[in-house]
Amino acid sequence: MVPLAPALAFVSISFVGRRWPKGEWGGWIAVVAAGFSMVVSVLIALGEMGAPGTYTDVSYTWFNLPGSPGAFPNGFRLVIGTLVDPISALMLLVVTVVGFLVMLYSIGYMHHDRGLPRYYAELSLFLTAMIGLVLSDNLLEFFLFWELVGVCSYFLIGFYYEKPSAASAAKEAFIVTRVGDVLFLAGIFVYFATYATSGPAGGWAANGFLFAYGNAPFLAGVLGGNSFLLTVAGLFIVAGAAGKSAQFPLHVWLPDAMEGPTTVSALIHAATMVAAGVYLLAVTSLFLGFTSLDLLVIVAIGGFTTFFAATMAVVNPDIKRVIAYSTISQLGYMVLAIGVGGAMLGLFHLFTHAFFKALLFLAAGSVIHAIGTQDLFKMGGLRKTMRLTSAAFLVGGLALAGIPPFGGFWSKDDILSAAVQAAEAHAAYWPFVVLAFAAVYLTAYYIFRVWFLTFSGDAVRDPSLPAAHEGGWVMQVPLIALSVFAVVAGLFVFVPSFQTLLQPFGVAVAGIPPTYTSTDLALSAISVVLAGAGIATAYALWGGGRVYELAPRSAARPIRQLLLERYYFKAAYDAIGRRGIYTLARVADFVDRYVIDGTVHGLERAMGAVSDRLRRAQTGVVSDYAAYVVAGLLFVFVVLLLVGPYVVNAWGGG
Amino acid sequence: MSGLTIPEFLALASALLALSIFGVLTRRNFILLLIAIEIGMNAAILNFIYFAAFPLCAGHSALSGQAIAVVTIGFAATEVAVGLAIVLALNRLKGTTNVAESTELKL
Repeated sequence: MVPLAPALAFVSISFVGRRWPKGEWGGWIAVVAAGFSMVVSVLIALGEMGAPGTYTDVSYTWFNLPGSPGAFPNGFRLVIGTLVDPISALMLLVVTVVGFLVMLYSIGYMHHDRGLPRYYAELSLFLTAMIGLVLSDNLLEFFLFWELVGVCSYFLIGFYYEKPSAASAAKEAFIVTRVGDVLFLAGIFVYFATYATSGPAGGWAANGFLFAYGNAPFLAGVLGGNSFLLTVAGLFIVAGAAGKSAQFPLHVWLPDAMEGPTTVSALIHAATMVAAGVYLLAVTSLFLGFTSLDLLVIVAIGGFTTFFAATMAVVNPDIKRVIAYSTISQLGYMVLAIGVGGAMLGLFHLFTHAFFKALLFLAAGSVIHAIGTQDLFKMGGLRKTMRLTSAAFLVGGLALAGIPPFGGFWSKDDILSAAVQAAEAHAAYWPFVVLAFAAVYLTAYYIFRVWFLTFSGDAVRDPSLPAAHEGGWVMQVPLIALSVFAVVAGLFVFVPSFQTLLQPFGVAVAGIPPTYTSTDLALSAISVVLAGAGIATAYALWGGGRVYELAPRSAARPIRQLLLERYYFKAAYDAIGRRGIYTLARVADFVDRYVIDGTVHGLERAMGAVSDRLRRAQTGVVSDYAAYVVAGLLFVFVVLLLVGPYVVNAWGGG
Repeated sequence: MSGLTIPEFLALASALLALSIFGVLTRRNFILLLIAIEIGMNAAILNFIYFAAFPLCAGHSALSGQAIAVVTIGFAATEVAVGLAIVLALNRLKGTTNVAESTELKL
């Protein structure tokens, strides 16, 4: 029922939206549908909180292939169904609440744009797909919705399709995530090949890849015999998640995805879709299990990405891109959490992050809506004209930086303490944990650099910009609501009924038991001090309307250039694309044009020539035809005379 | 059965067939063409009548070959009737019975 409402909205907006300008071209339908989903999701979540330890799995067999003896004895059953358990209830809350608020905000933010029916229809479709993904009860259904959110993301990044940069960003996002998707699919194949014939009920994979508590011990049991394949499958899954969640080295698409409307960035590229990769990792680690090598890779990717993305955020002059890098960096924390065995911690950070990051994006959207630029160095002094936005951004910034009691503190701190615990057991984790700590400092610095540049100071730096103003109530309400969530989401850990949502049950996750309320005070102090130092640095360099200029000969200049060029990753990928793929394409083109087409055309020409000759034989004169008949008969006789005896002998005489 | 031996008879029938084929291939007059075809059919009928005298297995009466011959003669008569009708129509249309001049069979 939850995904149904936005699905209906998608269909109805597609048809009637165009003729309904007064309802914001269908925008209100989308808002109402999203609101309905939100209410139902809250009810579901409350139900899960009320009865911890139960989960509901409703699944239908879509089709059933009978097995055959030998290599494929169990057949294959594809199921479609919904699974409501604590983690999907948690994700449902995130998706529908943020979805609803973003929809509402869109009414104001997108008001002046053209093509709104398309926008609302695609956004509704996205919401449908995302809810479907969260509720999937098996890996294949999950993959189906995974692709669907991917394509919606492509549509929405390319919403301003007449802008070449937006069109190419959409393509880039699609292709880069596609790399991950293909590897994800390969992972599913490996799982199938490994588990279609073994395990409970005659093969887990053959029985529809169901997510069911109890799989993980089973797979771990098989692990002794197939640990290599399980590792490979796990790595493929990690690659898929890295593509979707923009983790190193597939991170390049997310900053460019900022070409889409800011609302889209808030919903898809901050709160929900990019979190799907993390969700995939969490689900995999809870239901299937990773091997130790997989976990090391996850830790490495997560820890490195947090730091790596944060460094790029430090210098970027574009308000949205800074937040995008910060998203990559925060997703890195979640991945790190899963790697160190705290899948639920990762999901908790996902939960808090969704609110404060959506808040940051929407606040940035307010600024962009008001003054029409994304260049930080043109802004300034907006604190005076946009009080609400500036306060909201400040709340989001504090939550992101990890200052207690704001949301980000609790979840990030839990992750860091879990990471340290894990690193004490596995020395190989240390470098990445240290990088994650360094990123805390950078995070606080870059987000407050943005805040000071945008809101502090006396006046706007570029006088040609229009006078700033706050958006209407549809834009203010989501800002206020998200600010409240950004503050309290982290405090939810202290609510016992909410804790049940963070409690995996059935299986104890290997490694660290989920400890949500007890944190290591010394570690917390370190991270708070680091964050405070970051804010102080930002104030010293950018506070009060100052603009910090690097000295002309400074050694930091080449570094800044390196960061601005994003470590040349994009350039390198482009070069690979241009040299490698184009060469390949040219070879393929040559083969197509001259070898394949050549064969076809050659055959055609040969047929033409032959039929041209044959045509002359058809004279229309009866005697000629009679001659052909006789010639044919003679031919048959001759053949029979020559071959006949052998044939008769071959049949055994007669 | 007196008279012809099997080789002699086969030579006769083959000669008749060859004559017919020769006529079909060389004549250009439609009526002569029809006559040549008739000769060929008679060669075939002759075969039936001759070999009917050597029943190969029990249950085959000598009459069966002759019956086929009679039926075939009947068919030949109708066929000639149709053929002559075509010749008449063609003659009316083109004013000639030369087969080389009518190429309507060409698609």
